[in-house]
Amino acid sequence: MQSNQTFADVFRARGVSRRDFLKFCSLTSVYLGLSPSMVPNIVQAMENKPRTPVIWLHGLECTCCSESFIRSSHPSIEDLLFNMISLDYDDLLSAAAGHQLEDQRRKIMKEYKGKYILAVEGNASTKDDGVYCMVGGDSFLNTLKETAADAAAIIAWGSCASFGCVQNADPNPTGAAPVSDIIKNKPIVKVPGCPPISEVMTGVITHFHTFGTLPDLDRLGRPKAFYNTRIHDKCYRRAFFDAGMFVPSFDDEATRKGWCLYKMGCKGPTTYNSCSKIQWNGGTSFPIGSGHPCIGCSEPHFWDRGPFYQRLAEVPFLGSDSNADKIGVIAVGAAAAGAAAHAAVTAVKKAKADKDNTDKA
Amino acid sequence: MGRIIEEIYVWRLPVRLYHWINALCMVTLFVTGMYIAAPLLSPPLGEAVWYKGMAWWRYMHFVFAFIFIANFLFRLYWALFGGDKYARFGGFRPWSPSWWGTPFKEQVAAYLFLRSDEPNYVGHNPVAALAHFLFIFCGSTFMIFSGLAMYGENNPAGFSETLFGWMIPLFGGSYTLHFIHHLGAWMLPIYVIMHLYAVVRHDVVDRTSVTSSIITGYKHKVEEEPV
Repeated sequence: MQSNQTFADVFRARGVSRRDFLKFCSLTSVYLGLSPSMVPNIVQAMENKPRTPVIWLHGLECTCCSESFIRSSHPSIEDLLFNMISLDYDDLLSAAAGHQLEDQRRKIMKEYKGKYILAVEGNASTKDDGVYCMVGGDSFLNTLKETAADAAAIIAWGSCASFGCVQNADPNPTGAAPVSDIIKNKPIVKVPGCPPISEVMTGVITHFHTFGTLPDLDRLGRPKAFYNTRIHDKCYRRAFFDAGMFVPSFDDEATRKGWCLYKMGCKGPTTYNSCSKIQWNGGTSFPIGSGHPCIGCSEPHFWDRGPFYQRLAEVPFLGSDSNADKIGVIAVGAAAAGAAAHAAVTAVKKAKADKDNTDKA
Repeated sequence: MGRIIEEIYVWRLPVRLYHWINALCMVTLFVTGMYIAAPLLSPPLGEAVWYKGMAWWRYMHFVFAFIFIANFLFRLYWALFGGDKYARFGGFRPWSPSWWGTPFKEQVAAYLFLRSDEPNYVGHNPVAALAHFLFIFCGSTFMIFSGLAMYGENNPAGFSETLFGWMIPLFGGSYTLHFIHHLGAWMLPIYVIMHLYAVVRHDVVDRTSVTSSIITGYKHKVEEEPV
């Protein structure tokens, strides 16, 4: 275990020059939206603070968050950071297994009580005592509760841990619940996305390491630096949206011209993420850049929000799939039919009353 | 035909202005809102920077939304402090038997043809008061709050986002809020159908000139038709 090393020690040990180290600190401060005057704080923290111990748990998930984290195309920064955090427990990546590994987790929990970060990838099944996700001989539900008890803070990686993702999509057969539904008494940072952008993941850890506190969070518990604005607000195709130039279908000329994908069901206008700013794979591209509408993977319950290729969600209504407009038209039709029927009865009643009056006279 | 017995000044100018501004705003908001959800017009030819096709529809939606909000606030002010007995909230007292008791039941019975005679109110009848509370008061409030929450989305920590941004997590995310706002818009045509039908029907049955009263302000009491 090298848990007392600082980040700078690790950089040096891996042959990274001081110049590159400072570049990394500046770049990270930019990602975090910090002012240039904060760069020395980051440098200071990286050089002096021992690496933050991290326990990384995997629950009901697909490991796409880890994939994003470790397979970024700029290994010189991200891969090093992956080595920099003292990742003391990760059942997926560690060479050890079984009791040996579980003992290691308990040892860290005791040694760094109240100081370690618990990174959770995936969520926990809550139905039937959590039997639908068993890790290391115990239900993930129990492991999560046990490990969270002594954590300084929890990072919920990805949409699974943040909001539930596909596991708790309707009908949610395993009772999968996001971390925030299970752990109520710890600060939780939600880093949604399926997966989240690697720079976002590293940025959150760097912030915690530098300042010892969690980054500023928005109303849904996401770091403001990365989830403050919608993809739509910074989308490079926004000009086509404003002009009313939309792609009508994927085999249309407009697709090749790169027009706005709004009519193709793009969820960019309702999705909070940094894809259109930071982009993916070291700034190579992002879904809209590759001609595919955003599916809103970092939004709560995006699987249940209707087809990916339509603007309006379909909802079950009167036994069939319907959308807001169909429901609206049916309701308006019903109101009109009701009014017409009421008018007819009124007319009959009035005619009868008039006849009675005439008869009396 | 019965002779006009009495002319009653029911809808004062502020109420009539509110009514027509509201009608204009609601129709415009419905049309522009539906267009924003499904932009039907063909794309223009040329460079995107030359055009504001979609932006114009959204801009109009926002302009009329703010007029709608101002008008709504003005009507609330008039209801609370206007001292206008036909325009105050007084007509709607769901907690009091004076509202849900006999008057409400009688009016419902009349609408369901369970009574032969029709109760006649100078202002809003209890059922109309309930409809206005649900559709106009609750409906407008919801559409305004959700609309402002979405309007604030592109300016985090700005005025709209700070005051109304809580609507987004409350409804489980931006997409759901958009969906419910869209669904809520359909209240308008439903309301308009019921409103117009009820007005025309009351005018035919009660002969109180209720249709023209929202232009002139006057309703009439007429003599029962000579038998």
